[in-house]
Amino acid sequence: MKLHLSAPTPQGPVRSSALVSVCLLAVVLSLALGSRAQAPGTRNAPSPSYLTPVAAKISPDGIKLYVVCEDADAVLAVDLPTQRVIKKVAVGHKPKDLAVSPDGKTLYVSNEWSDTVSVIDSATFQVRRTLATGWGPRGLTTDRAGKTLYVANSIGNDVSVLDLTTGAERKRLTALRSPHYVQLSRDGRYVYVSNILAHLESADESPISELMVIDTRAQTVAERILIPEVLELRHVAEAPGPQGGYLLVPFLRPKNLNPLIQVDNGWILTHGVAVIRPAKANPGDTAPHSQVTQLLLDDIDRYYAGADGVAFTPDGRYALVTHADAATLSVIDTKLLAQRLHRVSAAELPNRLDTARQIVVHRLSTQANPTDVVVAPNGRTAYVVNRLDDSLTVVDIPQFQIRGRIDLGGPKEITALRQGEQLFHDAKFCFQGQFACATCHPDNHIDGVAWNLETPQLGRDRVANRTLRGIAETAPFKWNGHNPDLETQCGPRIAKFLFHSEGFNHQQLENLVAFIKSIPLPPNRHLAADGELTASQDRGRTIFFQKGCDTCHPPESHYTAKKSFDVGTAAKYDTSGMFDVPQLDRIYEKPPYLHNGEARTLEEIWTIYNPADRHGFTSDMSKEQLNDLVEFLKTL
Amino acid sequence: MRTATRIRGLLGTVALLCFVPVLAAQTPMLYTKWENFTPANGMPDAKVFSVAVDGERVWAGTENGLVLITNSKVAKVYTTADGLPNRVVTGIAIDKKTGDLWLATFGGLSQFTGGEFHNYRSMSSGLANDIVYAVALQDEFLWVATAAGINRFNLRTGEWSIFSERTAPMHEPWSYAIAVGEGKVYVAVWGGGILEYDIAGGYWKPYTDPDGEMEIVLFKNQGLIHDIVSGISYNHDTKMFWAATYFGMSGYDGHNWHNYLSTDSGLASDFINATQTRGDDVWACTDKGLSYLNFKTNTWVTYRPNKETGKGEILITSPDKKVTSIETATSLAHNYILNLAFQGDDIWVATAAGLSHGISQSHKEGTSNEQARASR
Repeated sequence: MKLHLSAPTPQGPVRSSALVSVCLLAVVLSLALGSRAQAPGTRNAPSPSYLTPVAAKISPDGIKLYVVCEDADAVLAVDLPTQRVIKKVAVGHKPKDLAVSPDGKTLYVSNEWSDTVSVIDSATFQVRRTLATGWGPRGLTTDRAGKTLYVANSIGNDVSVLDLTTGAERKRLTALRSPHYVQLSRDGRYVYVSNILAHLESADESPISELMVIDTRAQTVAERILIPEVLELRHVAEAPGPQGGYLLVPFLRPKNLNPLIQVDNGWILTHGVAVIRPAKANPGDTAPHSQVTQLLLDDIDRYYAGADGVAFTPDGRYALVTHADAATLSVIDTKLLAQRLHRVSAAELPNRLDTARQIVVHRLSTQANPTDVVVAPNGRTAYVVNRLDDSLTVVDIPQFQIRGRIDLGGPKEITALRQGEQLFHDAKFCFQGQFACATCHPDNHIDGVAWNLETPQLGRDRVANRTLRGIAETAPFKWNGHNPDLETQCGPRIAKFLFHSEGFNHQQLENLVAFIKSIPLPPNRHLAADGELTASQDRGRTIFFQKGCDTCHPPESHYTAKKSFDVGTAAKYDTSGMFDVPQLDRIYEKPPYLHNGEARTLEEIWTIYNPADRHGFTSDMSKEQLNDLVEFLKTL
Repeated sequence: MRTATRIRGLLGTVALLCFVPVLAAQTPMLYTKWENFTPANGMPDAKVFSVAVDGERVWAGTENGLVLITNSKVAKVYTTADGLPNRVVTGIAIDKKTGDLWLATFGGLSQFTGGEFHNYRSMSSGLANDIVYAVALQDEFLWVATAAGINRFNLRTGEWSIFSERTAPMHEPWSYAIAVGEGKVYVAVWGGGILEYDIAGGYWKPYTDPDGEMEIVLFKNQGLIHDIVSGISYNHDTKMFWAATYFGMSGYDGHNWHNYLSTDSGLASDFINATQTRGDDVWACTDKGLSYLNFKTNTWVTYRPNKETGKGEILITSPDKKVTSIETATSLAHNYILNLAFQGDDIWVATAAGLSHGISQSHKEGTSNEQARASR
């Protein structure tokens, strides 16, 4: 593989001296060329279309691997004996996941930006029909009979239950926030749904995530398994075999209430899996008591960011976990896992950084951004989906060695944007590989919590995470507006205060910024296709302009004046009341609100956190008017 | 066919205080066996505001929490410590599709789903007011009756609409109850009569007392009997809605009003908290007992406890106004009735002193109502 613009980044541990040299060189180059200098050839180079494989499922006979490619809006069929792509079918926009019918004859592909599921005939590899879902479909699975499809709607925050005979939606079940992956239990009795974001709690509390359990007989929510102090629940896998029955769910464990001054020893961020033994609850059971234990997969001096894909070998002996932001596959010996669970209390385990060396028996290097892993039915081979390499890594399971790489047919060159995206997902630029940009910006968005960054009132004035979607024209950055551009935001300052490392070199920084600027806004689900406002939205629009909201949130610049204002939202320990005006695009996707994440909903901005009418004169508004204003804001 | 204990079967077991021959065709169904749930057997509070039935599960909203009753036992009590937004649970709606409960409380609206409470309050959502009296589901909308108007919550988009004195033909905002009819939603407004919302047209139509008098009923069957409406129900069998007021009961069939006062019918009292319907029967929850009218036969039955004997009393008022009184060994927990719900042939009654379960003849020990019905 050839880099189009710059040399490949080293795969091994970054040495400080080398980084210092690179950094110094970057500074010199930066001064000489100016902060917006472009590498030769970047402007006129044709933009190749990457595949960006994000998920895969294997056919029941183990012959084919179906790969969902989100940037190509397509699904590929890989013939596993020959390890070649043999078919390709176009689906909707931003496909995210795939389910295979129990008989293997039908594939269901979720199209996140089309709000549909493509139904594909696996023999002809053609789309047979398209089903409507809720907003932002992602994970999905059929029931055991293949008659019902469960689809997690990441934007609607619910689960569509579709009748596959009629294609109609039977019901929607309330999920938490950003439901992500859907897994049918081995006995077919339950469907598990993970959520990327946690409950909207007070900004002073640790996040609580949730694994939703759906009873497939009643098609109702049987239980909501709470997993405290974690975020970003990803894939779900159920252990097979007589010792199985438990689930592994990768997670991120943030300590966002701690000041971000010391990142080692698991002080700020760790990565691991939840071990969950479901209670086998019936709908509405009064006291389902699923057991949840948390295990870290980090080593004390080396972290493995972005725990994402997970799969068991058919005999249940090993569990494979991908680390999307560390280009690594960890292999867990489940016998050792059981011993660990037996020997160390559940109260201690979530913070023990010596667990991985007890239970992880292999660490295998993959290609960039491994988001998913599947194991062949014969248990001899695993396939890792390398999202930012357009490839699969083939793993020999008995030996746990890399057997090869399957090229899915993406472009051979790496553009600046592509390298920027790879950097975004690369934790090696952080001390001990603790986290990447993507760690706190899952899906280029928010993690939904407020962080204790290295701010003046250390440990007390927390700031909420801000989205990266559609921010290219919204400078300055940072809540205090002190960063005039993204190069400053993502440059040496972030390296020093967040990554605790030398950070990116000049070229890398430029490519990273180019990528961030390219992150698009998703479609607006609250605005009609023809742009016509509803009566409530229209009334809200009138209020927006009558109240002068457009003074600080002008429509012509993404509803931000690109300045800081004091609107009376400073908290007790804030040293300044001046905060950068946030853009309002897709505001409904970004709770919590305000600089410190105090406002859990749009309504709270005005009902609770505007007591002196400094954030607009709103105290004279009726509840009806506030509702209308909120409805209008959702259309932006 | 609905079955319950009939008078013929009761002759040997109950004492008839005043024997009146009743024709078989006019014989009403009676509940002679009651079991009561009070603080003595696990209820968190004596006062029960609301009750709803979901198969074999019975949910009760009390002045101190939400109660789940299964197999004739209090199985679980949920309080504010469990996440309930307020101790007073005034209304319950069961989403039959999702299995979720929607709860009206005096501290906001709550969705009870998968064992967790998701709460909505006026400060953090589009809820009109935190004093919520009732909830009802209509397709993908949740209707919420509050002390400051009516909310319609779109469960798909999250949009909150408010209908109040500013946006609907209501001169009082206190909305007490909601019933979903066919293409219509009915709201009981305390002091404002009944509001009917046309779902397709998106407009409101008010029904108010034509005589405009708060103290007297001047035109008995020419309109709603009184503007202080505390409850509303819709009968899908007869296509009628029935309103509970503090001055009598009103029914409307689309053409004619059918109004009832305690002075000229078997209604126990004109002070009515709620109405519910089943088949031809209209039930009125009054401050002096539980009454029901068989609309087809114009026969009334009232249940009330006898304070002196502690036993139950059933009063049957035939169309010719003759009254039959029957004493039963068990009775309602109290004569102040707040609401009721049906469980097959059984009945669950919310009273000021406990939740009462009226057990039908078809209800056998260890046999579900569904099984009992199937066997008939």
